[in-house]
Amino acid sequence: MSDVKLTSVQKYYAAFHALRDIDLTIQPGEFVVMVGPSGCGKSTLLKSIAGLSDITSGRIEIAGRDVTRTDPGERGIAMVFQSYALYPHMSVAQNMGFGLKIMKRPRAEIDAAVRAAAEILRITDVLDKKPGQLSGGQRQRVAIGRAITRRPDVFLFDEPLSNLDAALRTQMRVELATLHKRLGATMIYVTHDQVEAMTMADRIVVLRAGRIEQVGAPLELYRNPVNHFVASFLGAPRMNFFEGRLRDLSAGATLEVPGLPEVTIPALAADHGLRPGNRVTLGLRPEHMRIDGRGVTTPATLRLAEELGRESVLYADAGALRTTGSDTGTESVTLLLGAGTPPPEGSTLQIGFDPADAYLFAEDGRTVTAPKSAP
Amino acid sequence: MLRTRRSLRHRATPALLLAPGLLLFLVVIVFSALRTFWISLHAWDGFGPMTWVGLSNYAELWGDPQFWVSLRNNVIWLAVFLLAPPMGLAIALLVNQKIRTMRLAKSLFFMPLVLSTVTVGVIFVWFYDPSYGLLALLFHAFGASPPAVLSSDTWVTFAVVFAALWPQVAFCMILFLAGLNTLDEEIIGAGRVDNARGWQMLRHIVLPQLRQVAFIALAISMIGALRSFDIIAVMTSGGPFGSSTNLAYQMYQESLFSYRFGYGAALATVLFAIMMVFIVWYLLRLLRDERSA
Repeated sequence: MSDVKLTSVQKYYAAFHALRDIDLTIQPGEFVVMVGPSGCGKSTLLKSIAGLSDITSGRIEIAGRDVTRTDPGERGIAMVFQSYALYPHMSVAQNMGFGLKIMKRPRAEIDAAVRAAAEILRITDVLDKKPGQLSGGQRQRVAIGRAITRRPDVFLFDEPLSNLDAALRTQMRVELATLHKRLGATMIYVTHDQVEAMTMADRIVVLRAGRIEQVGAPLELYRNPVNHFVASFLGAPRMNFFEGRLRDLSAGATLEVPGLPEVTIPALAADHGLRPGNRVTLGLRPEHMRIDGRGVTTPATLRLAEELGRESVLYADAGALRTTGSDTGTESVTLLLGAGTPPPEGSTLQIGFDPADAYLFAEDGRTVTAPKSAP
Repeated sequence: MLRTRRSLRHRATPALLLAPGLLLFLVVIVFSALRTFWISLHAWDGFGPMTWVGLSNYAELWGDPQFWVSLRNNVIWLAVFLLAPPMGLAIALLVNQKIRTMRLAKSLFFMPLVLSTVTVGVIFVWFYDPSYGLLALLFHAFGASPPAVLSSDTWVTFAVVFAALWPQVAFCMILFLAGLNTLDEEIIGAGRVDNARGWQMLRHIVLPQLRQVAFIALAISMIGALRSFDIIAVMTSGGPFGSSTNLAYQMYQESLFSYRFGYGAALATVLFAIMMVFIVWYLLRLLRDERSA
């Protein structure tokens, strides 16, 4: 168990600024997930921690030791790659024992470590096979096993589940979380899948364009995103965003949004810095939308209902009330309703929300509503 | 009815597509080889009637000292050409480093490949020239008198093979460079995380991934060594006194200059038999790899 500390890490690829001033401290035993859209720098950051990619400036410490210029093999890390990167000509056992063999450990110790890891991952029956003879899930286990045998201070995972099918991904997700509890090791995990991030992480690091946007516990990030980007990135279906203009700030924030009656958001952040007339974005999670006619309402036509059994996702056209940047690529409003039969498609609904649930984002993307506490 | 027609078409398409290549192969390779063997059982000047002599051409070969010199030279070619793949690999590893000037180095190493064998031969004749060649200059620099390698029956074959080795090494280098470019970046990364460095990285992670390429480089070098002919013609014409002649060159001389097509065909058949060993080995490996894939 070791901590990882990044201080002012910068990375340029020629003129491209891949990592911008990254400061991050990861506690011993913590499971940190780095998420962000493709090209946000999350894999680059992981490779920099691994030492596979040199940083331009800044400092990387692992277990209190400055490893900024240390070879990957001497950083006390192990890495699981997206393509698994197993050595194709070695058997499973040789793959898993290779790191120890390079360290010139005695044969008996290598065998014991390989066997122990294989038992944890339930791959003892394929130890003599070559990677080419294994299924995707087995290869993934071997890759994890290879990391375990080296007893690293820190485990690094680079989108390890992205090549697996949905069922296997869920299974491996649970196994990885269990493994983390069992080993108690520090783990840094990169993914673009927000479900993996929300379910596995002690803390999530959201990255965009080489910069850390927000760091925090999954629910904290979900409940209190610092900006429009984090709010839109976490949560599926995605938050509804509506563009509007600020009318008055005398009691909370009163705004006009095309297609809605006047809305007053009750609690603003202390340092909101808003002025009447400012352009703002109103944000509403789909699960905060309702059709019981209470709160601020507007009529809408139900376009499509996806019934998922436990819940239903509704897409409704609300005339002048249009969402921007939705994940469906349409201007429909997304609603997430609990169990129960949704209204028939094509019917007219009164969609509405409680202004206390709403988020407000300033024109530069900052969240300007007051932090929300746990319900 | 429908089923049989479909299955017929199923079989007809590959057969049709293979036909042109197969036909060419039958005429140019198989027929020529059989015909050569047939000719080798005759005495023939290339114009007049062929006289059946049975295996006496082969019996004559056995007693011909020039045949043994040629065979020995072919063995030397083979042995020296064995160096081409490892040398090519070494240079490929060197120029594959991400250093600024390596592009220039790469093109320089690549150069002999774009030169024709005749040009390479002529360059090396100059290089070996004992009065004004580069080799002579080197020897003078150390105060020694330069040997006339192309006139020495001890050194001449080595001198010619060395010249032929130059483009062969370049060829192997290109093969290995292509192979190095297809290496899996993440596997190399995994090796670095496992702390494999230098020799261990090369031996355990890089080389196993280059096995296919190494096999092709070796097979092509072996076959190239056996069929070498043109550079001998340019540099020494097989001399002095036949001491740099190999089987291919001897065949050419016997057939076209001594008008002994039967004897030349016997030489060709022996050379073919030797080559078969390598070709069969190559094909068996290829088949085995394909079956396991």
